[in-house]
Amino acid sequence: MISSNLSNRFIFVLSLLGLFVSSFLFYEYNLQGSVICPIGTGCNVVRTSSYSSFIGISIPFLGMLFYFAMAILSVAHAQKTFNNLLFRLKLLISLSGVGFGIYLTFLEIFVIKAICFWCVLSFIISLAILLSVILDENRN
Amino acid sequence: MKTETKWLGMILICTLILLFGGIFLLTRGNPLEVVDGATVFQIDYSRGQKIGSDSAKVRIVEFSDFECLACAAVESYVARLRAADPNKIQFIYRHFPLSQHVHSSQAAALAEAAGEQGKFWEMHDKLLETQARWSSMNDATSFFMDLVKELGLDEDKIKQAMAGNVIKAKIDSDAAEGNSLGISQTPTFFVNGRKLDLQKFEDLDTLVEQELKK
Repeated sequence: MISSNLSNRFIFVLSLLGLFVSSFLFYEYNLQGSVICPIGTGCNVVRTSSYSSFIGISIPFLGMLFYFAMAILSVAHAQKTFNNLLFRLKLLISLSGVGFGIYLTFLEIFVIKAICFWCVLSFIISLAILLSVILDENRN
Repeated sequence: MKTETKWLGMILICTLILLFGGIFLLTRGNPLEVVDGATVFQIDYSRGQKIGSDSAKVRIVEFSDFECLACAAVESYVARLRAADPNKIQFIYRHFPLSQHVHSSQAAALAEAAGEQGKFWEMHDKLLETQARWSSMNDATSFFMDLVKELGLDEDKIKQAMAGNVIKAKIDSDAAEGNSLGISQTPTFFVNGRKLDLQKFEDLDTLVEQELKK
């Protein structure tokens, strides 16, 4: 268990990191040509696959929304009001984020058969966020 | 409002300004740029499977992998280019089987073997059309042989050719040239020696039209 303050700061920093990663991907997906892939060559395969959007919304944009929501919630949580509600919202959103990340990672490995470095990085960040939420010692 | 809330809020606002400002600056005054620099790469035009005249005004070289999803996705655009006036556009297919695709090299060899019987493009089309079916198989050999029968090719000759060194050497030399041209992904297109950096596949048509107008 970690203190509520520390958990909240972790979530904030991780959300900013996630915002950078998903914004970079959003830029690369929608505005640039090929995706810069530091490890492996799967980024472009993933980008050009039919799974690069979900119900018509680009996946990196969904990522940006997720990290933005987590960042806003951690700013609000720093105020120490509505603790219970904010904790539940953080848990709900981070669980949804990780759940969606598991689905996307499954698609990458078994359907698209290509791994995108940035997607994996984003998945790891979302896992770290969920972990920080769960480890918050003042859960209510 | 607590100090921590203020700080975190300020950092968040600054981050957002930085991100959106960055995206805005990067895209402003940066119109569609499909050509990756002005470098004209020296490509060996004597190699590869060709459609169209060697004296065509526009020569397009595609480095591709039969198991790559994007290569199958781009096919409808490529098919249009292949069907264009052969005196104006020459299309050359080169192999670049990616190591993460288990059946790529076998599929490339199959297409080349079919090519020896004059049906490279027919096999090329079949392989891309059926990609989703064979790419998930552990062993696609019998599926590939069904394609051979479907195209009315001599199965024994295909097997012999696929097992021989000639085709393997051809595919390896394509891949080696692709590597020397700095290719890291498929499909990669070169139009008159200039490497394309495609944002979307439609850009391929646009650039070819631009080249034709020159």
